[in-house]
Amino acid sequence: MRSEKSTISVQTMAGYGVAAVAAVLVLYPMFFLLQASLDVGDPQARPPTAYGFDNFNGIFQYPQILLNTLTVSVAATVMALVFGFIMAWILTRTNVPGRDLFEQLMAVPYYLTPLLGALAWSLLGSPESGFINQIWRALGGSNHLIDINTAYGIAWVMALFEGSVAFVMIAAVMKSMDPSLEEASQIIGASRLRTMLRVTLPLVLPGVLGAAIFVFAEMLGSFAAALVLGLPSRYYVITTAMYQMVQQYPPKVQIAAAMGVSLFAVMFFMLFLYRRIVMAGSYVTITGKAFRPRVTDVGKLRYVFFGICLLYLFAAVGLPLATLLYASLQKIAVAFPAAGNWTLENFRIAVTMNAVRSALTNSLLLGLGTATLGVVLMGLLAWLIYRSPLRGRGLIEYVVMFPQAVPRLVFAFGLMWAWVVFPIPIYGTLWLLLIAYLTVFLPLGVRTIAGVMLQIDKSLEECAQMCGASWAFRIRTVTIPLLVPGLIAAWLLLFIASIRELGASILLMGPHSKVITPSIVESWFGTSSELTAALAVIQTLVVAIAMIVLVTVTRRVGARPVE
Amino acid sequence: MYVEKGNGLSILLKFGKLNENKRPTIWESDMADRNRESSLTRRSVLKVGTAMSAMPLLGIAAPSVLAQAPTKSPTKVLDFMTNADMAKAEQEGQLVFYCHENEAGTAGIMEGFRKDFPKINTSYVRAQTGALYNKILSERSAGRFDVDVIQLSDLAPAVDFQKKGGYEHYVSPESPAYNADHLSTPNGYFFWTGVDPAGIAYNSTKVSAADAPKGWQDILNPRWKRSISCKISASGLQFVQWYMLRKLYGAGFWKEFAKQNPHAFDSRVQLFDRLAKGDDLITAIGEYPAYILFKDKGAKVEFVAPADGLVATPLIVGAVSKAPHPEAAKLFVDWAMSKRGQAWYQTNPNLYYGSVRTDAPPMPTGVRLGDLKLLYPADWDDYAANRDVFAKEWNGMLGL
Repeated sequence: MRSEKSTISVQTMAGYGVAAVAAVLVLYPMFFLLQASLDVGDPQARPPTAYGFDNFNGIFQYPQILLNTLTVSVAATVMALVFGFIMAWILTRTNVPGRDLFEQLMAVPYYLTPLLGALAWSLLGSPESGFINQIWRALGGSNHLIDINTAYGIAWVMALFEGSVAFVMIAAVMKSMDPSLEEASQIIGASRLRTMLRVTLPLVLPGVLGAAIFVFAEMLGSFAAALVLGLPSRYYVITTAMYQMVQQYPPKVQIAAAMGVSLFAVMFFMLFLYRRIVMAGSYVTITGKAFRPRVTDVGKLRYVFFGICLLYLFAAVGLPLATLLYASLQKIAVAFPAAGNWTLENFRIAVTMNAVRSALTNSLLLGLGTATLGVVLMGLLAWLIYRSPLRGRGLIEYVVMFPQAVPRLVFAFGLMWAWVVFPIPIYGTLWLLLIAYLTVFLPLGVRTIAGVMLQIDKSLEECAQMCGASWAFRIRTVTIPLLVPGLIAAWLLLFIASIRELGASILLMGPHSKVITPSIVESWFGTSSELTAALAVIQTLVVAIAMIVLVTVTRRVGARPVE
Repeated sequence: MYVEKGNGLSILLKFGKLNENKRPTIWESDMADRNRESSLTRRSVLKVGTAMSAMPLLGIAAPSVLAQAPTKSPTKVLDFMTNADMAKAEQEGQLVFYCHENEAGTAGIMEGFRKDFPKINTSYVRAQTGALYNKILSERSAGRFDVDVIQLSDLAPAVDFQKKGGYEHYVSPESPAYNADHLSTPNGYFFWTGVDPAGIAYNSTKVSAADAPKGWQDILNPRWKRSISCKISASGLQFVQWYMLRKLYGAGFWKEFAKQNPHAFDSRVQLFDRLAKGDDLITAIGEYPAYILFKDKGAKVEFVAPADGLVATPLIVGAVSKAPHPEAAKLFVDWAMSKRGQAWYQTNPNLYYGSVRTDAPPMPTGVRLGDLKLLYPADWDDYAANRDVFAKEWNGMLGL
């Protein structure tokens, strides 16, 4: 039998090893980002010839961009919270028909990506050529009904597609709320609306506030919608301005890095605030009394709520997908095409392009790699942080959660410079993207797995330990089997997140490492919107097929009883 | 073929059709090259001098033009001549292409090459010239050499890249079919694979022919405010237009243009896409190839050739030094220079380049490049020196 000392030693070594990998992944690129932001010497010289804070002063040459970022982020956060709150209330507190199905469907906009949403809404809502505006004029309207190329248009798309996060967070708060408080309100004669506004809302407000801060931080770092919808009207936010500055000739890399670091600082503060709110005991909405979340019979109103749910999913999923398909089959996409305007040529050209020839395969490969390696790495990290007695695990948690505060595009800056000078030639290969994905998805993966891990009683592991099982044996025979459903969920989440990734990939792709989402953006920049729509349709189809296959396979694996 | 210089600002290219049978032999061409090089100008001396002195930059060894090993006799592949070793090129099995062209155009070039050489796989990176040039310089400064051939839409970075020793020196056996002005100085670093001319284009359903702009100065009409488009600063053609119209109409021209709040885009397809749909009424930089493409699609767009001439940029192709697939790179250069490759460039709907090959047929519209009055910089050095001024002014106009 192994001694306890040697067991701890193996466990400690493994723990610090994994923690070291995570630290290198996160901190090594951050060093290069900070270095670039402080570089005030010759932009071509590496390492920098002089250091200073001039680049940060330079940010204030662009007050409009700062204001735009704030406007879009606030508007998108408010809209996302409204969508999230209404949907969460309907789906957790009312007897709307098909609520379980709707709850699952709420994740679809997240899978569909803000990029595809932005492309579709660009086709729908451009002031002149947007299908909605064409129909509006055909019905006798003048000018345009909507203009998607404005701050509120961008915010609308961001809220529709990134609002799923708000929904998930607010729904969790609502599920943890004692419904007897609402019942009491209704018993004493308050209407449903009054109860919702005077009881439900104040009760969930702290949770909503936490969600608001989290979503606001997400919106600050958002990139795709602002890129597609903001550029035509020269409406830049920090992330799109950074991208443009790097693409310029000569590039303004240093000021872009300073913008990135500043954005990171703001997001870091916001997430720190979020953490404080979430951790503060005074905001707990769960009472000590046992309760079970119950739904309220809202009578015929449930059909209205059913309509609201359908409307949201129509705006976020049905309409965008139909629009992309409709546009992809036309020579010049219009709302009322003539017979001669229909074509399959866009799909023919699409299959000659890198985006389809290699990028889709690369994306699927990377999805598999990131999900598989990610589950192992992030599973170990989650265990280290939340289950092990390792010293300094609080610090590891901070390091692991660090990428959450860094917009992916900003992180890609650091990664690009970090790995271009790295002695092992991985720059321009899929390996670099794999490293990038494993890094930027650390918070996502660790949180997902930790969520499940914390539900498993620690005493089961301790019991095995008392029986003499080694650390590795305990992990293999107790922890992992209990975690399987959570690990499968994390695997699927990482797979999807990898395939939809844009911000980190767009700067790191090479000729042999094209991936699909940035390829679609490149197509949008460099080809017609019809061809881009065809690429988006192909991507959606392939990813949907991959998901169906994977879900079928994993369900079978997950359904196997744990021995 | 001869070059007629205009008013010191423009070069009007006129093409006399060269008889196929009178095509110069390689020997004759070499002689022509030598003659051309013997009548050196101050500029060409400076260019070569700078090129030689700057070779060690980026860690690239200076290719010695004079000491270049004699190449073996060219061989005929398909219907063109090449110095590339076909067996080795196929063994390399790969060509990595960096290209300024839009996605469909870049894919189109690769498709044409792959059709002729199916054993060589192709991959590419596309970005506007400025961004592409940044990328390749960053990669090379970090010791990464992943690219075989590069195509740029601006002579300034091409000359700069030559000075930095970025191009592989390779004299194609197809180069005799090109005028010296369309080859690097000295020959062997890059060539003009085509010319991209641009005028003004407008949406004919929203703008009548009578109201449409007739000349360059008409794009300043306040009527087009917020409904006019242009390209971003990374575009080579946009730089040429800025440079030429500034020379023609003074520095105030673009300051007035800035008041129009133009929408700026990456590629010509985006410009015409918006034009065809009425999102913009006119584009200040309507490229002729994109006009043909969209006319073919049935778009209601019209093209205006201002009397002062069409701004034009050369599209520059060259094999890159330290290429991972050097024989495939040579083969591509020969193919692109050949009549066969040029026909592909000139007739592919996503390219429609005007060929400067002396024996090139007319463009699909029947127009020859020589029929057009083209505005090129007369002094390429002065042009290149203005790059930063342009970038600052243009980015400032666009709020960046």
